[in-house]
Amino acid sequence: MKVNPHRFKEFIVIAVVVAVLAVLPVLGLPRTWLLYIFLFFIYLALANMWNLLSGYCGLISLCQPAFIGLGGYTLVIFTWNGLPLYMGILGGAIVAAIFTMLISSAVFRLRGIYFAIGTLVVPEALRVVFFIWRPVGEQIHGKGAGYMIKGLNDVSMTHIYWLAIFIGIVSIVIMRLTLSSKMGMGLAAIRDNDSAASSSGINIFKLKLFAFVISAFITAIAGSIFYMFQGYIAPESGFSMKWTMTMILATVIGGISTEEGPIIGTVIIVFLHFLLARYAGISLIIQGILLIIIMLLAPQGIMGFARKTKIYQSLLRLTAGDSI
Amino acid sequence: MNEIFSDIATPVISGILLGGLYTVIALGLSLVFGVMKLINVAHGDLVIFGSYFAYSIMTYLGFNPVLSLVAGIPLLFAVGFAIQKYFMARVFKRSMEAPLLIAFGISLVFENLYQILFTPMSRGLTTSYSLESFILGDIYIPVVYLLNLIVALIVMIALSLFLKKTFIGQAIIASSQDIRAAQLMGINTARIFCLTFGISAAISAVAGVFLGLTFPFTPVSGIPFLIIAFGVVILGGLGSIIGTFVGGIILGLAQTLGAQYISASAQMLILYVIVLVILAVRPQGLFGR
Repeated sequence: MKVNPHRFKEFIVIAVVVAVLAVLPVLGLPRTWLLYIFLFFIYLALANMWNLLSGYCGLISLCQPAFIGLGGYTLVIFTWNGLPLYMGILGGAIVAAIFTMLISSAVFRLRGIYFAIGTLVVPEALRVVFFIWRPVGEQIHGKGAGYMIKGLNDVSMTHIYWLAIFIGIVSIVIMRLTLSSKMGMGLAAIRDNDSAASSSGINIFKLKLFAFVISAFITAIAGSIFYMFQGYIAPESGFSMKWTMTMILATVIGGISTEEGPIIGTVIIVFLHFLLARYAGISLIIQGILLIIIMLLAPQGIMGFARKTKIYQSLLRLTAGDSI
Repeated sequence: MNEIFSDIATPVISGILLGGLYTVIALGLSLVFGVMKLINVAHGDLVIFGSYFAYSIMTYLGFNPVLSLVAGIPLLFAVGFAIQKYFMARVFKRSMEAPLLIAFGISLVFENLYQILFTPMSRGLTTSYSLESFILGDIYIPVVYLLNLIVALIVMIALSLFLKKTFIGQAIIASSQDIRAAQLMGINTARIFCLTFGISAAISAVAGVFLGLTFPFTPVSGIPFLIIAFGVVILGGLGSIIGTFVGGIILGLAQTLGAQYISASAQMLILYVIVLVILAVRPQGLFGR
């Protein structure tokens, strides 16, 4: 097999960047900086998985917080029963994947905007479930089933930081693998015209389900890692719409249906978090306005805009010329 | 025997009356959905806009929340008109997703504006009659619940008369049936869409006031009521005012009966599960074809 030199160069660049980021905590970078890098990779994983569904399958999923919450709560249940953290993370991902299969027969009957609203119901319903249900521990007086995550004492912050980098990179790799495979072509065909895809022999249900399950799996892991960092999960935060908002913003600002879009979008979102750290409400209003402006003026996001400009195209030609 | 009867009669009657409120909340969504084939994700937040507007008028000026509608209805009409004219209309033809994402952004902006202006605390529209109830045999029914049903009937009759008897109403129906044919008949559909969105928001103003009289609300109450409205619309099928009314009553009954016989804290969950089951089994609605 011949190694594509262009691909190889890209791989080296990514590997160097990741290695530098990974050793930062050892070098003693301020903790707030590490926090933003941590958030970047968690949001990146979430945005990539949302982009996979909405940008490449045409499934505008608003139920991603369901996977985050399920991941976090499974982690709680596992650790409270004395099981190791890693088993909890994996368990959460599997629970989210199984849950996806259960709801898929209902939500896949819906198309376009109906699918969006159908999926919107799911995290709201789960939020109520976890508000009422106390899976582990004593029945406390009053409502609001918030939990501490146990067994975090032996895990250092650096460790959790590395986990975040890992899941962020995994999400990029998964996007690359899925899109360059036969499955990616099938998904694109479904998005563009599902009846034509179906009559060309593509099993629509199976492909959509596969993408949905992958998305749930990775989203749940990213969610668990985030709650490992927080150390505490409550139904209002775990199943919150704010998660959906973050991934939509990151993807749409960067450029939906592009592989680089979520990366650029996440950088901007995390930067906004950094700038407006003290004014959370105002930050969200600005993000909402940003989303509206992008949709009105540049629906393909920054990447879509960049692709049209001459500089980007000549840059592309340059790197392509290099690799030949 | 009598006790069992009153046991079941209370949730049934309050469920039907509550259904009135859900009908009013859903009518605005149904109108936009039916005419523009667009689900306005910010609909719940527009309803809560109505609630907060009435709340501010009541707290700062001391007017009765129902009276505040004199200003609330035109204000929300203008907001709805502007949303369609300056945002939705521009991306309307591009794709299904674009208006959805814009509505999502509007919802986020509204929600956080409420958080900043009114704090995340739970508010309610408390009036002299909000704690009173009337007695029907052995059953106590809160007055505001009865108001909900009366208002629902008024809004439904007014809306159907408007759609049937006025030129604009007929133009709205024509544009919902066939945009191109309507345009060929000389109807300015872009303007009709703005008016439709405005009317939908104006109905939300009414819904918001009676929602505030019935339930406490917070800045994030928009999503639960959006889901309820959506459930009512799919239950009742598209474009039918009576269908919406039936859907509203079914969800109202499901909530009060669920609260009585299953658990009060699970009442919203029951509504969500019903919405999901209907989507899975009959996405076209009970009365859809």
